Amino acid sequence: MSAQPQIELVDIDKHYGSFHALKNINLSIPKGQFVALVGPSGCGKSTLLRSLAGLESITGGTMKIAGEVMNGVPPRKRDVAMVFQSYALYPHMTVEQNLTYSLRLKRVPKAEAKKAADEVAKTIGLQQLMHRYPRELSGGQRQRVAMGRAIIRHPKAFLFDEPLSNLDAALRVHMRKEIRALHDRLGATSVYVTHDQIEAMTMADHVVVMRDGVIEQQGSPLELYDRPATRFVGGFIGSPAMNFISGTVAADGQSIALELDGSGALPIGRGLEPGRKVTVGLRPEHVEVGPAAAAQITLPVAVVESTGSLTYLTTGGDPELTVVITGRSDIRAGQTVGLSIAPGRVHIFDPETDRAL
Amino acid sequence: MNRLLSSLRDGKGFDIVLVTVPLLFLIALSGLPLIYNVVMSFQEVDMFSLGTFARPWVGFKNYIAVFSAPETWPIMRNTAVFVVCSIAGQFLLGFGLALFFTQKFPGASYIRGLFLASWVMPGLVVGAIWNWILAGDFGVLNYVLKSIGIISENIFWRSDTNWSLWAVIIANIWLGTAFNMILLAVGLAGIPRDLYEAAELDGANGWQRFWTITLPMMRATIGAVISLGLIFTLQQFDLFAAITSGGPANSSNVAQYWAWEQSFRQYDFAKGSTISVVMIAVVMIASVIYVRSTRHEVRG
Repeated sequence: MSAQPQIELVDIDKHYGSFHALKNINLSIPKGQFVALVGPSGCGKSTLLRSLAGLESITGGTMKIAGEVMNGVPPRKRDVAMVFQSYALYPHMTVEQNLTYSLRLKRVPKAEAKKAADEVAKTIGLQQLMHRYPRELSGGQRQRVAMGRAIIRHPKAFLFDEPLSNLDAALRVHMRKEIRALHDRLGATSVYVTHDQIEAMTMADHVVVMRDGVIEQQGSPLELYDRPATRFVGGFIGSPAMNFISGTVAADGQSIALELDGSGALPIGRGLEPGRKVTVGLRPEHVEVGPAAAAQITLPVAVVESTGSLTYLTTGGDPELTVVITGRSDIRAGQTVGLSIAPGRVHIFDPETDRAL
Repeated sequence: MNRLLSSLRDGKGFDIVLVTVPLLFLIALSGLPLIYNVVMSFQEVDMFSLGTFARPWVGFKNYIAVFSAPETWPIMRNTAVFVVCSIAGQFLLGFGLALFFTQKFPGASYIRGLFLASWVMPGLVVGAIWNWILAGDFGVLNYVLKSIGIISENIFWRSDTNWSLWAVIIANIWLGTAFNMILLAVGLAGIPRDLYEAAELDGANGWQRFWTITLPMMRATIGAVISLGLIFTLQQFDLFAAITSGGPANSSNVAQYWAWEQSFRQYDFAKGSTISVVMIAVVMIASVIYVRSTRHEVRG
């Protein structure tokens, strides 16, 4: 890893008229890293990616790729490759022509371009399809051609704009691994936009969670999972989503009285100002189910759903809590259960600012 | 009766009615006259036999007469020049304007709409306007060309045998450009934006994007526009009637105007219909090309 980041964004701002699409974005991506931009739709992740590609202009800040300032540089001079959600394959060209398009523009000799195309085709398994047109390919094959078109150029960075969202679930899981493996093999620097937190968590070295044009938090996938900086990140990362319960810090400062029917005090293993209002976040998979007597929380179970490997409990009352149990369970709906959670796994947020405490 | 009504109501049979009405209309008003015209071209027709269908059969005599007439080849040449130059002019100007209006600027769609004014005008009105513009002694075109120094003497567009055909071509280009522009603009709008973005990232400049993305993606539209242009240009009659009447000395005469002249001025209906049949053959070829080009739509 070189000292100089491959992509460096400093104070990036973007306005569409009066709409502030990107607010003060700072992001530094070392060479070889796989970065996922994740967030709900409209959060600015695609705008940020398109700004990196040069397809959108930025209003303020500095954007560097491989040390060169790219503000105002047209896309064709940025030497970045993009894989579009729609794949954007050239419909009037065969797979081979699609792959070699960029080389032909650069007037690379025919034989050389063909050799490069064959090599790429071998890497991503397209050899049999070189003379087909995009309309004759399946979704997954089109996806591969789109990737091949990016790979053949050896660009400074790969940009992915939700490339898997048009594939069915099984293929998506498969392509996830393939893209990541390809990234490692090529030693590429990749920026990957997705709204699917699982994709971001499983593929990326570094995840950037965005909301409303702001970076909410960035870090390694497990950092985000273990220490969400805001209530939004806590709820966005992890599946099923984190449970949030309002509460008040008890007089001893060491536990929280939850605003929940049938609840006891929840020890938090650290000191907080007594009487302070807080929001408590509990991950469904961290809640342990036991006999009602010894538990911190006792609640009736409203719904039991089993997938075979996991069992989901949804409790009655308000707010309802989701609990995940590994394996099977003989708990039935209507039964009252005791829930407890290790103090270290309790997330506490300020209800005003939504930031972690 | 009840059964018929209910079959109409539940949709069965209604589709047949829908097809039958336009089909009958087409047969009565296009098919039968077409066949009548073809039959007539193989018969001896004069004013006295006009009222009857059973006329003396003469085989290819009318065709031999038409193709051995001294004016035939100059008129066929005029027709070819008229068609090629009109289509080229309409297409190039139309494509240029269509590309121009894909640029986003204030009022773009409004101004583009104004261009349609030329297309919705009747040919005779267009002819009358161009008569004034092209007038030899007081026409605006001569004034402009003289002012910018391209010509030194007035050109008598409509009565000079060197220019008379061009007078109609210029008017016809003006008339057909807007139609070309609209069809081509629709074709341009159908090209997905992300193809241009992908090409841009692949390193294509504007010129390269035009040649490698726009033109190939427009192939079907361009084929359709040019075939339709051929059909419309071969149908163009009003402008000849309004501007030159095919004269002077047949210098601006074209097949479609000539056919009318033979039939309804000289009352030589056999000759007129023979010329029409030759034109039908040409238009048929164009129609086949048109149908084929729209069938081969290339879209992702």
